[in-house]
Amino acid sequence: MQLLLTVNGLTHEVEVRPTARLLDVLRDELGLTGTKEGCAEGECGACTVLVDGKAVNSCVMLAVQARGKEILTVEGLAEHGELDLLQQKFVEYGAVQCGYCTPGMLMSAKALLMANPVPSEQDIRIALAGNLCRCTGYAAIVAAVKAASGHDATPAMVLPGEAEELAVEVATDPETLAIVEEVVEAAVAGLTEGTAPAPEAFPSPDAPAGPPGAPAAPSSEPPENADDAEGGD
Amino acid sequence: MDELAAALKAATPQTRLLAGGTDLVRAVRRPGSEPDVIIDLTGLDELSYVRLDGETLRVGATTTFTELQSDPLVHEHALCLGLAAAQVGSAQIRNVGTIGGNIANASPCADGATALTALGAEVTTLDGAGTVRTRPLGELLLGPSQTSLAHDEAITEFSFSALGAAHRSAFAKIGSRTAVSVARLSAALVVRFDPAAGSLTDVRVALGAVGGAAFRAARLEQELQGRPVDEDTARLFAEGCVAAVQESIPGRYSLPYKRHAAVGLAYDAWNMLALVAPCEPAWV
Repeated sequence: MQLLLTVNGLTHEVEVRPTARLLDVLRDELGLTGTKEGCAEGECGACTVLVDGKAVNSCVMLAVQARGKEILTVEGLAEHGELDLLQQKFVEYGAVQCGYCTPGMLMSAKALLMANPVPSEQDIRIALAGNLCRCTGYAAIVAAVKAASGHDATPAMVLPGEAEELAVEVATDPETLAIVEEVVEAAVAGLTEGTAPAPEAFPSPDAPAGPPGAPAAPSSEPPENADDAEGGD
Repeated sequence: MDELAAALKAATPQTRLLAGGTDLVRAVRRPGSEPDVIIDLTGLDELSYVRLDGETLRVGATTTFTELQSDPLVHEHALCLGLAAAQVGSAQIRNVGTIGGNIANASPCADGATALTALGAEVTTLDGAGTVRTRPLGELLLGPSQTSLAHDEAITEFSFSALGAAHRSAFAKIGSRTAVSVARLSAALVVRFDPAAGSLTDVRVALGAVGGAAFRAARLEQELQGRPVDEDTARLFAEGCVAAVQESIPGRYSLPYKRHAAVGLAYDAWNMLALVAPCEPAWV
């Protein structure tokens, strides 16, 4: 079937099988081999591209699903021969080892920064959760994304990540769990005595994540031994 | 919608409906499972919405998990569904995966099914003859990959009573890792707290990834009705979840693990009731 696909600002007319994946068309028909195939089942994120500004796995999306939409691949990040700031920071921070996951990492990070220019570290980790890297240990990647994001603004409460952040906190953070216990106890005590606990007793969802603006590494220069910090696996 | 009915009219048992594709694209690539026609529902803007209709919340079938997790109406009236949506797969999966596809795919571990079961959702469908039908979710989900959907029938909407200000709801799941994980066990909890009586009313507990499809733990719900909000009730809830898991999968190899996991899961869900919607006075 005939299909019009807009990729990196250029519209292409391609002849595709109805069951062709977006990944196949990008790589085989348009020669955009920056997008990688990894697991082919939507787990590893190596094939991540942006469709209308949203990160998607191009291995579990049919090409026809992208008709009439704006597709951005890793080849579209650099402009006029100049690397995107995100790419520069990946280089600077040594966030690349074998490099196979890098295009997907870049595209997931790009989608995040387009929607939320000043993400918290938690936001970054959630945005990259669908991108597997078996080399770096992730620390350098997270630091690079942080360095490419805005530095001065105070992170606002971002609705899309909120529910998941809370869920992750509840599941993992002992500090949060302790606060929850306290709050529940106070609430129960308040109920039996007929008095309400002060609203301040409730934790701010941002509180346990540490100072929101504080970068994990100095943003002006690459961290020393970023690889070693993760135990060199 | 007329266009959809016309497309469904031509559907055969080999026709597949595409509602995002994160499961379907893999399925149709298996040798021998090529469909004759794929009907792409995602192009239908009419099927993507969340709206409050009186006291009923209506969710269109092709609403994505990303849309659900950030929708203000879902936060206010069906928080457990938003929490479940936020824990589905990765950002990439949530951006294209839809609630309708999640249900029609009928995986026993579908997070959306657990949340919708606790909310008492009904499913509305459209078939090739143009017939619109509504039935309880439990009548649609029959078992692993099994639904009562006819080959020419598409899910168009989920609807349920919107939770009010006195309601709290939560969703928790346990998988092999914290994020991007398929549920080994999931729970959705809905309660209404009556401040005058100091007790719980309208308690609803749904469990998923135990047995063929998500189900309501009816006996546990009964036991929790009228209970005060205290540690004993939390414990009763956890014990009830363990009992429900035990009854659902007797003798299954995963039972010893899930029996223990159910305790942690129950407390996760219980604690989340207080955490996600702090307001005054006290707990409600």
